[in-house]
Amino acid sequence: MLIMLVGDKLSHIFSKASSFNIIGAQLCTNLNWIEISTNNLLWAFQMSPLSILSTATDTSGLKFCTVKMAPSTDWDEIKRLAADFQKAQLSSTSQRLSERNCVEIVTKLIELKLIDVIFTTDGKEYLTSQQLVKEIRDELYVHGGRINTVDLAKELNVDLTQINTSVSEIVKKKEVQLVSGYLIASYYLEKIAKEINEKLQLQGQISVGELTLQYDLPADLLQHNVLERYLGKIIIGKQDTSEPRTFYTEEYLTRTKAKIRGALVGLLKPTPVTVIINHCNLTDRLFMSLFDYVKAPGVLTGRQAGAMYVPSCYTKSQNDWVVNFFKQNNYLEYDALSRLGISDPKGYVKRIFTNDDLTFLSTCVIGSQIKQQLETELEECIASKTYLDVVSLLPSVLSSTDIENILESLLKNNSKSTMLFENTVFSNNYIEGLKQSCMPITQKKAENVVRSGKYQQFHYEKQLSKSVEMSQQGHIDHKAERRDERRRKAASGKGGGGTQGRETKTKAVKKHPRSSKQAVPDSDSDEPSNMTKKQAQLEIITIDDVESIIKDVLENEGLDDLVGQVAEYLQRGLNQIALDIAKEIAEKFLQDASQNRKQTHTSAQDKINVLVNDIKLYEKGIKSLSSEQQAQFIKYLLKSLGGDVLAELCKYAANQCNLSLQTDTLTVEQRNKIINDMSDEYKKPLAALNGSLSEQSLELFYHALDVCLSECGMILKKVDKKKDKLLIQNHREKLISELENCDDPALSLHIAVLAIFTLVTQNMLHASGRQVPAIVNFLKAHITEEQFEQLQSCQELVTKFLTTSEEEKSGVEEKLHEVLPKLKNMVQDIKRQK
Amino acid sequence: MVDESTRKTLSSIPLLQTKAGPRDKELWVNRLKEEYQALIKYVQNNKAADNDWFRLESDKTGTRWFGKCWFVHNLLKYEFDLEFDIPITYPTTAPEIALPGLDGKTAKMYRGGKICLTDHFKPLWARNVPKFGIAHAIALGLGPWLAVEVPDLIEKGVISYQEKSEDTK
Repeated sequence: MLIMLVGDKLSHIFSKASSFNIIGAQLCTNLNWIEISTNNLLWAFQMSPLSILSTATDTSGLKFCTVKMAPSTDWDEIKRLAADFQKAQLSSTSQRLSERNCVEIVTKLIELKLIDVIFTTDGKEYLTSQQLVKEIRDELYVHGGRINTVDLAKELNVDLTQINTSVSEIVKKKEVQLVSGYLIASYYLEKIAKEINEKLQLQGQISVGELTLQYDLPADLLQHNVLERYLGKIIIGKQDTSEPRTFYTEEYLTRTKAKIRGALVGLLKPTPVTVIINHCNLTDRLFMSLFDYVKAPGVLTGRQAGAMYVPSCYTKSQNDWVVNFFKQNNYLEYDALSRLGISDPKGYVKRIFTNDDLTFLSTCVIGSQIKQQLETELEECIASKTYLDVVSLLPSVLSSTDIENILESLLKNNSKSTMLFENTVFSNNYIEGLKQSCMPITQKKAENVVRSGKYQQFHYEKQLSKSVEMSQQGHIDHKAERRDERRRKAASGKGGGGTQGRETKTKAVKKHPRSSKQAVPDSDSDEPSNMTKKQAQLEIITIDDVESIIKDVLENEGLDDLVGQVAEYLQRGLNQIALDIAKEIAEKFLQDASQNRKQTHTSAQDKINVLVNDIKLYEKGIKSLSSEQQAQFIKYLLKSLGGDVLAELCKYAANQCNLSLQTDTLTVEQRNKIINDMSDEYKKPLAALNGSLSEQSLELFYHALDVCLSECGMILKKVDKKKDKLLIQNHREKLISELENCDDPALSLHIAVLAIFTLVTQNMLHASGRQVPAIVNFLKAHITEEQFEQLQSCQELVTKFLTTSEEEKSGVEEKLHEVLPKLKNMVQDIKRQK
Repeated sequence: MVDESTRKTLSSIPLLQTKAGPRDKELWVNRLKEEYQALIKYVQNNKAADNDWFRLESDKTGTRWFGKCWFVHNLLKYEFDLEFDIPITYPTTAPEIALPGLDGKTAKMYRGGKICLTDHFKPLWARNVPKFGIAHAIALGLGPWLAVEVPDLIEKGVISYQEKSEDTK
């Protein structure tokens, strides 16, 4: 709606118009029309457009017309803009409250405790606690009845502590609960219950543990607030009575029972429960609880996880086997039983064979039959004087200790008449037989030992070692000691010796079962003592000897492995016997010796007398020779006959000293050795005599001889001239007869010369072959020229014969054979002449 | 140069096109229109940014402007009267804004309460003739001046807070 006003000084109107009259006046006076928008008018005059129009027309009768747009419209525009500007300045200020201010205001309000609000975490929003509670409830609903408070804090953008305080308020109202940081509403639990039921129906079995994992909720809550609460209502199943955390459906239980029954019926041998459970894919507890309902054909060994299921058919067959085996074999091995799955074989056997008389051993049980059999066999063995190999009679499973035990009990009654080696029982008679077979060699060996002087030597050495100890205690007269010793020996030999052997034997028999038992562990400790004993005792008969004898016998019986043991045993007895025999023989020997001693004394004395006499006679012969030749002859005389005298003395002395002499004739070395071995009383004089032999003086020899003889208690007989003549005669005759029988040229010459000397000088001469030429020269004065030449030629031939080479020897020998008879004739001639 | 916020404020004020002073009858109207539009926009922007800090109105011709401006310091609002004339050579010459209430209280002021504008202002204005108008002058001249001077004056105790019960926000 436009009012066209005429007038050019519109500004005038605006500035002055203040009343309707003025408007009217102004409009009339102005010739120009101006276009005024109602807005402008309203703004200018602050009145309604209608009233403006009416006043304007009333007062001046204005003409309305359209006028071209004048510049004045711009001013209107400006006014409008100015108005807008003012409006803009005024309006918006009142409307707008800046965020800063708001925050300030709210803080102020909170400070003054006029309002109670909660900040959001970013601080941009405020909530009242009621709003928060509401929001929490909404969130809970949106999340299906379960939400974590932390998530809530994030979601609602509110501090967790604020949430927690609100939550505690919410929880007060029962239908919501706070469980481990989760807000849980009752409808959530119901939902879970439905889910669980579905699962249970599907699986047949469900455990709280599983569910805890799935729902991440505490087991207690699930157990009491879900499962037990809705059991029978929403959840259709059964709680395990023994394990309240597990739930089953009926079908599941029946199915499982059927499975277990099937498994148990199918089993034929004892099976660990775990195996069954694994096989059937069950839990221990379920199996155990259902086992009772299944009526299984067998028993469980226990209620633990490690138990075994033993089917009754197995037990039955086990029993059958055991009974049958025992009936057949009369023994039971523990190993075999445990292999059958019997854990306590001894107890088991006792239970089954309550009435039988059983013997429990370390590895097996044997029945009375075997024992009886053994006993009868043993009796038979004793009766038949043979042996009994126990091993062959006993079951092969027995260990060696078991066999020993059996034997021990077995031999308790018969130990006197039996003998045990390893596991073979020998009757004493059998052993005795073996012993007898060894007796000859024992006898022989004992004799040998005494003969050879080893026995005496052994005793002497033993005595020596003893006397060494004793000599430290005091000086004892050697002779007296020796005599005592002899007496002692004789006494013991007669008194104990004979019976001792027997006693030891019976003792050994008694001891043996025990000692054989101990033998294994004690062998170490026994041996050293045996060794010392052996050292102390002379071993006349060795184990090897015995073995070699009994070997054949035992080998024939198939007992070769026992040869060593039997031999050892026999050797002990036999050695004792041999020692006894040796002792007896030695005694006899000694008796003989003491009887002979006197004889030997006199005989030695006689021998020495004869020898000394001979020496004296020979000495006479030597004296008829030239003095320069005498020394050589004396030397030879001492060497030969003096040596014989010394030898006789040595023999005697040795005999006195109990030194054994193997040979009758003594070499120089043997003599020296014996002299050294002798006791002091003989040693010195004999050594002196021995020394005198190498001197070329008969006087010294005689002197030394006198000392020796006085020591030996001998005397020299006085020289009997008649007897001497007879002796010379005898000597001469002997020489001649020797010559007659002699074929050897050198010896013949030697004897011939000696004979001629004796015939010529009426004295004996003792000379060696080397001295023959000297004697021949001496004879030159006493025989005819012819005879002398004959002798000389013969001598030359002999020297030639001895020195020439082999080829010429035969020729010389022939010549000698021609000469020798002549020589013999010559001796006869000289004899006749005299 | 001016700080970042000022620059931003400045850039959001529409630039003017008409180069005319109060003496150019027709064109001045146009110019005045543009001035108003710029001011409206500026005020709106300020309000939108919750940064309203002056009231301004002019006489009919738009040559004389007056109003109030205020400054908030330590949560207290200090208010000053504001006035200026459009110089005859406008827009080549920038208007001289005056705060008569502070006349003689600070050195940064000419006789009659005219504020001393920064060294930057004049060349900047000169470069931007005729694009800058009243809105620019206020934003670029008065605003920074107040921000610098008022806290200083308050500190010196030259001006003190007066409760104004009728004051509306």
